[in-house]
Amino acid sequence: MLEDRGIPSVALGSVRAQMEKTRPPRGLWTSAQLGRPVGEPEDKAFQRRVVLAALQLLDRTDGPVILEDFPEDPPGLKDTLGWQSPTLPGVTVMPATSHAWAASFAAELALLTPLWRQAQARFGRTTVGLSFQPPEAWPAFAARFLAGELPGVVGHDTPALALRFLCDDVKALYGEAGQAEGAAPSSHQVDTWFWRQTVAGALLIALREAALSSENSALKTVGGRFFVPVPWLP
Amino acid sequence: MARLEDIPQPTRDAVLAVPCPRFDSQPFVVGPPLAQRRVAIVSSAALIQRGDKPFPFGSAECRFLPASVPAADILISHVSINFDRTGFQRDLNVVYPIDRLRELAAEGVIGGVAETHFTVMGSTDPAGMTEAADQIAGQLRQERIDAVLLSPV
Repeated sequence: MLEDRGIPSVALGSVRAQMEKTRPPRGLWTSAQLGRPVGEPEDKAFQRRVVLAALQLLDRTDGPVILEDFPEDPPGLKDTLGWQSPTLPGVTVMPATSHAWAASFAAELALLTPLWRQAQARFGRTTVGLSFQPPEAWPAFAARFLAGELPGVVGHDTPALALRFLCDDVKALYGEAGQAEGAAPSSHQVDTWFWRQTVAGALLIALREAALSSENSALKTVGGRFFVPVPWLP
Repeated sequence: MARLEDIPQPTRDAVLAVPCPRFDSQPFVVGPPLAQRRVAIVSSAALIQRGDKPFPFGSAECRFLPASVPAADILISHVSINFDRTGFQRDLNVVYPIDRLRELAAEGVIGGVAETHFTVMGSTDPAGMTEAADQIAGQLRQERIDAVLLSPV
Protein backbone atom coordinates (compact mmCIF):
# COMPACT_ATOMS: atom_id res chain seq x y z
CA MET A 1 0.00 0.00 0.00
CA LEU A 2 2.91 2.36 0.67
CA GLU A 3 4.57 1.46 -2.61
CA ASP A 4 1.33 2.47 -4.33
CA ARG A 5 1.89 5.87 -2.77
CA GLY A 6 5.44 6.13 -4.06
CA ILE A 7 7.34 4.93 -0.97
CA PRO A 8 9.87 2.09 -1.39
CA SER A 9 9.40 -0.62 1.23
CA VAL A 10 10.72 -3.94 2.41
CA ALA A 11 8.81 -6.35 4.63
CA LEU A 12 10.12 -8.77 7.19
CA GLY A 13 8.00 -11.89 7.51
CA SER A 14 7.84 -14.88 9.83
CA VAL A 15 5.32 -16.96 7.87
CA ARG A 16 6.56 -17.68 4.39
CA ALA A 17 3.21 -18.95 3.15
CA GLN A 18 1.67 -15.57 3.91
CA MET A 19 4.46 -13.73 2.11
CA GLU A 20 3.97 -15.91 -0.95
CA LYS A 21 0.31 -14.92 -0.99
CA THR A 22 0.68 -11.20 -0.32
CA ARG A 23 3.69 -10.82 -2.64
CA PRO A 24 5.22 -7.63 -1.21
CA PRO A 25 7.59 -5.73 -3.51
CA ARG A 26 10.50 -6.82 -1.34
CA GLY A 27 10.25 -9.41 1.40
CA LEU A 28 12.73 -11.11 3.69
CA TRP A 29 11.47 -14.27 5.33
CA THR A 30 13.15 -15.24 8.56
CA SER A 31 12.55 -18.32 10.68
CA ALA A 32 12.18 -16.09 13.71
CA GLN A 33 9.65 -17.03 16.32
CA LEU A 34 6.29 -15.27 16.07
CA GLY A 35 6.64 -12.11 18.13
CA ARG A 36 10.38 -11.77 17.43
CA PRO A 37 10.54 -10.80 13.75
CA VAL A 38 14.00 -9.26 14.09
CA GLY A 39 15.50 -12.14 16.05
CA GLU A 40 16.63 -12.80 19.56
CA PRO A 41 16.63 -10.28 22.42
CA GLU A 42 20.00 -8.74 23.21
CA ASP A 43 21.61 -10.40 20.19
CA LYS A 44 22.53 -7.15 18.48
CA ALA A 45 24.69 -8.82 15.86
CA PHE A 46 21.91 -11.13 14.72
CA GLN A 47 19.34 -8.33 14.71
CA ARG A 48 21.71 -6.19 12.67
CA ARG A 49 22.19 -8.92 10.08
CA VAL A 50 18.42 -9.31 9.71
CA VAL A 51 17.77 -5.58 9.39
CA LEU A 52 20.65 -5.08 6.99
CA ALA A 53 19.67 -8.05 4.82
CA ALA A 54 16.18 -6.60 4.56
CA LEU A 55 17.32 -3.07 3.78
CA GLN A 56 19.78 -4.26 1.15
CA LEU A 57 16.83 -5.55 -0.86
CA LEU A 58 16.00 -1.89 -1.45
CA ASP A 59 19.04 -1.64 -3.71
CA ARG A 60 17.71 -4.42 -5.94
CA THR A 61 15.90 -3.49 -9.12
CA ASP A 62 14.70 -6.92 -10.26
CA GLY A 63 11.13 -6.52 -8.99
CA PRO A 64 8.17 -6.27 -8.95
CA VAL A 65 8.32 -9.06 -6.36
CA ILE A 66 11.48 -10.06 -4.51
CA LEU A 67 11.21 -12.68 -1.80
CA GLU A 68 14.39 -13.86 -0.13
CA ASP A 69 15.04 -16.23 2.75
CA PHE A 70 17.30 -15.15 5.58
CA PRO A 71 19.87 -17.95 5.80
CA GLU A 72 20.30 -18.17 9.57
CA ASP A 73 18.06 -19.66 12.22
CA PRO A 74 17.89 -17.81 15.54
CA PRO A 75 17.91 -20.05 18.65
CA GLY A 76 14.25 -19.21 19.12
CA LEU A 77 12.40 -22.05 20.75
CA LYS A 78 15.38 -23.87 22.20
CA ASP A 79 15.11 -24.26 25.98
CA THR A 80 17.88 -22.77 28.08
CA LEU A 81 19.68 -25.33 30.20
CA GLY A 82 20.05 -24.19 33.75
CA TRP A 83 17.24 -21.65 33.70
CA GLN A 84 15.23 -21.91 36.88
CA SER A 85 11.78 -20.48 37.36
CA PRO A 86 11.18 -18.29 40.40
CA THR A 87 10.48 -20.31 43.52
CA LEU A 88 6.84 -19.98 44.46
CA PRO A 89 4.44 -22.20 46.39
CA GLY A 90 2.20 -22.46 43.29
CA VAL A 91 -1.34 -23.77 43.50
CA THR A 92 -1.45 -26.15 46.44
CA VAL A 93 -5.23 -26.11 46.80
CA MET A 94 -7.47 -24.60 44.14
CA PRO A 95 -9.14 -21.55 45.76
CA ALA A 96 -12.83 -22.12 46.35
CA THR A 97 -14.05 -18.52 46.52
CA SER A 98 -13.28 -15.24 44.81
CA HIS A 99 -11.84 -13.95 48.07
CA ALA A 100 -9.56 -16.97 48.33
CA TRP A 101 -8.37 -16.41 44.76
CA ALA A 102 -7.60 -12.79 45.58
CA ALA A 103 -5.67 -13.77 48.69
CA SER A 104 -3.63 -16.45 46.90
CA PHE A 105 -2.84 -14.17 43.97
CA ALA A 106 -1.91 -11.28 46.24
CA ALA A 107 0.43 -13.52 48.23
CA GLU A 108 2.11 -14.76 45.05
CA LEU A 109 2.45 -11.23 43.69
CA ALA A 110 4.08 -10.13 46.92
CA LEU A 111 6.65 -12.90 46.58
CA LEU A 112 7.31 -12.08 42.96
CA THR A 113 7.45 -8.29 43.15
CA PRO A 114 11.11 -8.09 44.25
CA LEU A 115 12.11 -10.13 41.19
CA TRP A 116 9.98 -7.92 38.99
CA ARG A 117 11.74 -4.84 40.36
CA GLN A 118 15.05 -6.57 39.73
CA ALA A 119 14.01 -7.25 36.13
CA GLN A 120 13.11 -3.59 35.65
CA ALA A 121 16.54 -2.59 36.85
CA ARG A 122 18.15 -5.17 34.57
CA PHE A 123 16.24 -4.30 31.40
CA GLY A 124 15.67 -0.61 32.14
CA ARG A 125 11.96 -0.82 31.64
CA THR A 126 8.76 -2.75 32.17
CA THR A 127 6.12 -3.67 29.62
CA VAL A 128 3.45 -3.68 32.32
CA GLY A 129 1.07 -0.77 31.84
CA LEU A 130 -1.87 -1.70 29.65
CA SER A 131 -4.35 -2.23 32.49
CA PHE A 132 -4.03 1.28 33.95
CA GLN A 133 -3.97 -0.33 37.40
CA PRO A 134 -1.05 -0.94 39.77
CA PRO A 135 -0.33 -4.58 40.66
CA GLU A 136 -1.65 -4.06 44.18
CA ALA A 137 -5.10 -3.51 42.71
CA TRP A 138 -5.09 -6.60 40.48
CA PRO A 139 -6.18 -9.32 42.94
CA ALA A 140 -9.31 -7.54 44.16
CA PHE A 141 -10.23 -6.43 40.64
CA ALA A 142 -9.93 -9.95 39.24
CA ALA A 143 -11.88 -11.38 42.16
CA ARG A 144 -14.83 -9.15 41.40
CA PHE A 145 -15.19 -10.80 37.99
CA LEU A 146 -15.05 -14.22 39.61
CA ALA A 147 -17.87 -13.06 41.87
CA GLY A 148 -19.95 -12.13 38.85
CA GLU A 149 -19.44 -8.37 38.93
CA LEU A 150 -18.44 -6.25 35.94
CA PRO A 151 -16.13 -3.55 37.29
CA GLY A 152 -14.66 -0.99 34.95
CA VAL A 153 -11.48 1.03 34.78
CA VAL A 154 -11.05 4.58 33.57
CA GLY A 155 -9.34 4.40 30.18
CA HIS A 156 -10.95 1.18 29.00
CA ASP A 157 -14.30 1.27 27.22
CA THR A 158 -15.74 -1.89 28.75
CA PRO A 159 -15.16 -4.16 31.75
CA ALA A 160 -14.25 -6.91 29.27
CA LEU A 161 -11.38 -4.84 27.88
CA ALA A 162 -10.29 -3.79 31.35
CA LEU A 163 -9.97 -7.44 32.31
CA ARG A 164 -8.31 -8.43 29.03
CA PHE A 165 -5.56 -5.89 29.49
CA LEU A 166 -5.23 -6.84 33.15
CA CYS A 167 -4.48 -10.36 31.91
CA ASP A 168 -1.83 -8.92 29.58
CA ASP A 169 -0.24 -7.04 32.47
CA VAL A 170 -0.23 -10.12 34.69
CA LYS A 171 1.54 -12.14 31.98
CA ALA A 172 4.01 -9.30 31.41
CA LEU A 173 4.88 -8.98 35.09
CA TYR A 174 5.44 -12.69 35.46
CA GLY A 175 7.38 -12.90 32.19
CA GLU A 176 9.70 -10.14 33.33
CA ALA A 177 10.11 -11.53 36.83
CA GLY A 178 10.92 -14.93 35.35
CA GLN A 179 13.74 -13.33 33.37
CA ALA A 180 15.17 -11.25 36.20
CA GLU A 181 18.22 -13.45 36.56
CA GLY A 182 20.49 -15.53 34.39
CA ALA A 183 20.35 -16.34 30.71
CA ALA A 184 17.19 -15.82 28.68
CA PRO A 185 14.76 -18.72 28.99
CA SER A 186 12.80 -19.84 25.94
CA SER A 187 9.26 -18.54 25.72
CA HIS A 188 8.10 -22.13 26.19
CA GLN A 189 9.91 -22.35 29.51
CA VAL A 190 8.29 -19.14 30.72
CA ASP A 191 4.87 -20.22 29.47
CA THR A 192 5.12 -23.67 31.07
CA TRP A 193 6.02 -22.11 34.38
CA PHE A 194 3.31 -19.45 34.18
CA TRP A 195 0.43 -21.59 32.98
CA ARG A 196 1.16 -24.77 34.90
CA GLN A 197 2.90 -23.71 38.09
CA THR A 198 1.59 -20.32 39.23
CA VAL A 199 -1.54 -19.08 40.93
CA ALA A 200 -1.71 -16.33 38.33
CA GLY A 201 -1.88 -18.82 35.45
CA ALA A 202 -4.61 -20.78 37.22
CA LEU A 203 -6.43 -17.53 37.96
CA LEU A 204 -6.45 -16.48 34.30
CA ILE A 205 -7.87 -19.88 33.39
CA ALA A 206 -10.54 -19.42 36.09
CA LEU A 207 -11.31 -15.94 34.76
CA ARG A 208 -11.75 -17.41 31.30
CA GLU A 209 -14.24 -19.92 32.66
CA ALA A 210 -16.10 -17.16 34.47
CA ALA A 211 -16.18 -15.05 31.31
CA LEU A 212 -17.51 -17.92 29.24
CA SER A 213 -20.40 -18.40 31.65
CA SER A 214 -21.11 -14.67 31.88
CA GLU A 215 -24.26 -13.18 30.39
CA ASN A 216 -22.19 -10.23 29.21
CA SER A 217 -21.54 -11.02 25.56
CA ALA A 218 -18.44 -8.83 25.31
CA LEU A 219 -16.86 -10.54 28.31
CA LYS A 220 -17.81 -13.93 26.95
CA THR A 221 -16.15 -13.21 23.61
CA VAL A 222 -13.07 -11.48 24.95
CA GLY A 223 -12.56 -13.97 27.75
CA GLY A 224 -12.97 -16.96 25.50
CA ARG A 225 -10.44 -15.76 22.95
CA PHE A 226 -7.97 -13.44 24.61
CA PHE A 227 -7.20 -14.54 28.16
CA VAL A 228 -5.56 -17.94 27.68
CA PRO A 229 -3.73 -19.15 24.55
CA VAL A 230 -5.34 -22.32 23.24
CA PRO A 231 -2.23 -24.49 23.72
CA TRP A 232 -2.41 -23.74 27.46
CA LEU A 233 -6.07 -24.48 28.03
CA PRO A 234 -6.45 -27.27 30.59
CA MET B 1 13.85 -22.01 14.49
CA ALA B 2 10.21 -21.02 14.29
CA ARG B 3 9.47 -22.50 10.93
CA LEU B 4 5.84 -23.29 10.27
CA GLU B 5 6.25 -26.77 11.68
CA ASP B 6 7.54 -25.26 14.93
CA ILE B 7 4.40 -23.20 15.54
CA PRO B 8 2.18 -25.17 17.95
CA GLN B 9 -1.24 -26.25 16.90
CA PRO B 10 -3.88 -24.87 16.66
CA THR B 11 -1.99 -21.59 16.18
CA ARG B 12 -0.33 -22.99 13.05
CA ASP B 13 -3.67 -23.68 11.38
CA ALA B 14 -4.95 -20.28 12.46
CA VAL B 15 -1.90 -18.57 10.98
CA LEU B 16 -2.32 -20.39 7.69
CA ALA B 17 -6.03 -19.60 7.61
CA VAL B 18 -5.50 -15.86 7.94
CA PRO B 19 -6.92 -14.30 4.78
CA CYS B 20 -4.10 -12.59 2.93
CA PRO B 21 -4.89 -9.54 0.83
CA ARG B 22 -4.25 -9.65 -2.88
CA PHE B 23 -3.49 -6.44 -4.69
CA ASP B 24 -4.47 -5.52 -8.25
CA SER B 25 -1.24 -3.72 -8.97
CA GLN B 26 2.37 -4.60 -8.28
CA PRO B 27 4.09 -1.26 -7.82
CA PHE B 28 7.85 -1.35 -7.38
CA VAL B 29 9.43 1.95 -6.47
CA VAL B 30 13.18 2.36 -6.69
CA GLY B 31 15.27 4.97 -4.96
CA PRO B 32 18.76 6.16 -4.20
CA PRO B 33 21.51 3.87 -2.85
CA LEU B 34 20.91 2.57 0.67
CA ALA B 35 23.61 4.82 2.09
CA GLN B 36 21.53 7.82 1.07
CA ARG B 37 18.15 6.60 2.25
CA ARG B 38 16.31 7.74 5.33
CA VAL B 39 14.45 4.82 6.87
CA ALA B 40 11.21 4.56 8.86
CA ILE B 41 9.72 1.55 10.62
CA VAL B 42 6.09 0.48 10.27
CA SER B 43 5.27 -2.08 12.95
CA SER B 44 2.07 -4.13 13.01
CA ALA B 45 2.44 -4.83 16.74
CA ALA B 46 -0.10 -2.16 17.73
CA LEU B 47 2.60 -0.39 19.71
CA ILE B 48 1.45 2.37 22.00
CA GLN B 49 3.08 4.95 24.18
CA ARG B 50 2.67 4.29 27.90
CA GLY B 51 -0.55 5.87 29.09
CA ASP B 52 -2.23 5.81 25.68
CA LYS B 53 -5.32 3.75 25.10
CA PRO B 54 -4.57 0.33 23.60
CA PHE B 55 -5.59 -0.21 19.98
CA PRO B 56 -9.25 -1.33 19.82
CA PHE B 57 -9.97 -4.74 18.35
CA GLY B 58 -10.21 -4.49 14.58
CA SER B 59 -8.81 -0.99 14.53
CA ALA B 60 -7.84 0.33 11.10
CA GLU B 61 -6.03 3.35 12.51
CA CYS B 62 -2.34 4.09 12.42
CA ARG B 63 -0.48 5.81 15.21
CA PHE B 64 2.63 7.89 14.87
CA LEU B 65 5.52 6.86 17.08
CA PRO B 66 8.12 9.62 17.39
CA ALA B 67 11.66 8.26 17.42
CA SER B 68 12.20 10.25 20.61
CA VAL B 69 9.83 8.06 22.64
CA PRO B 70 12.05 6.13 25.07
CA ALA B 71 12.00 2.35 25.02
CA ALA B 72 10.61 2.34 28.54
CA ASP B 73 7.42 3.95 27.28
CA ILE B 74 6.62 1.62 24.38
CA LEU B 75 4.12 -1.19 24.96
CA ILE B 76 2.49 -3.82 22.74
CA SER B 77 -1.31 -3.72 22.58
CA HIS B 78 -1.85 -6.23 19.77
CA VAL B 79 -5.04 -8.23 20.13
CA SER B 80 -3.44 -11.63 19.55
CA ILE B 81 -2.21 -13.65 22.51
CA ASN B 82 -0.64 -16.25 20.24
CA PHE B 83 2.79 -14.74 19.75
CA ASP B 84 5.72 -14.46 22.11
CA ARG B 85 6.15 -11.33 24.18
CA THR B 86 9.02 -12.46 26.40
CA GLY B 87 11.57 -11.40 23.79
CA PHE B 88 10.06 -7.91 23.62
CA GLN B 89 10.12 -7.78 27.41
CA ARG B 90 13.92 -8.11 27.31
CA ASP B 91 14.59 -6.02 24.23
CA LEU B 92 12.15 -3.98 22.16
CA ASN B 93 14.41 -4.26 19.12
CA VAL B 94 13.08 -7.76 18.40
CA VAL B 95 9.87 -6.01 17.29
CA TYR B 96 10.89 -2.39 16.74
CA PRO B 97 14.55 -2.33 15.67
CA ILE B 98 15.07 1.36 16.28
CA ASP B 99 18.49 0.94 17.90
CA ARG B 100 19.75 -1.17 15.00
CA LEU B 101 18.66 1.55 12.55
CA ARG B 102 20.44 4.20 14.60
CA GLU B 103 23.63 2.16 14.56
CA LEU B 104 23.43 1.64 10.80
CA ALA B 105 22.91 5.36 10.34
CA ALA B 106 25.86 6.20 12.59
CA GLU B 107 28.04 3.90 10.49
CA GLY B 108 26.83 5.48 7.26
CA VAL B 109 25.28 2.24 6.03
CA ILE B 110 21.95 4.05 5.71
CA GLY B 111 21.44 7.74 5.21
CA GLY B 112 19.42 8.35 8.34
CA VAL B 113 16.54 7.38 10.58
CA ALA B 114 13.10 8.93 10.42
CA GLU B 115 11.90 11.20 13.17
CA THR B 116 8.53 9.47 13.08
CA HIS B 117 7.71 5.77 12.91
CA PHE B 118 4.32 4.13 12.62
CA THR B 119 2.29 1.31 14.07
CA VAL B 120 -0.93 -0.47 13.17
CA MET B 121 -2.96 -3.43 14.39
CA GLY B 122 -1.64 -6.30 12.34
CA SER B 123 -4.75 -8.43 12.64
CA THR B 124 -6.88 -5.87 10.79
CA ASP B 125 -7.70 -6.44 7.14
CA PRO B 126 -5.50 -4.01 5.17
CA ALA B 127 -8.39 -3.40 2.80
CA GLY B 128 -9.83 -1.07 5.42
CA MET B 129 -6.60 0.77 6.03
CA THR B 130 -6.52 3.10 3.05
CA GLU B 131 -6.83 6.17 5.24
CA ALA B 132 -4.05 4.95 7.51
CA ALA B 133 -1.80 4.32 4.50
CA ASP B 134 -2.52 7.85 3.26
CA GLN B 135 -1.61 9.30 6.65
CA ILE B 136 1.61 7.33 6.85
CA ALA B 137 2.61 8.19 3.29
CA GLY B 138 1.87 11.86 3.93
CA GLN B 139 4.12 11.97 6.95
CA LEU B 140 6.85 10.02 5.14
CA ARG B 141 6.83 12.53 2.29
CA GLN B 142 6.91 15.43 4.74
CA GLU B 143 10.02 13.95 6.38
CA ARG B 144 11.53 13.02 2.99
CA ILE B 145 11.70 9.33 3.91
CA ASP B 146 12.55 7.03 1.04
CA ALA B 147 12.61 3.60 2.69
CA VAL B 148 10.22 1.79 4.97
CA LEU B 149 10.97 -1.35 6.96
CA LEU B 150 7.75 -3.25 7.65
CA SER B 151 8.05 -5.29 10.84
CA PRO B 152 5.23 -7.74 11.64
CA VAL B 153 4.68 -9.82 14.78
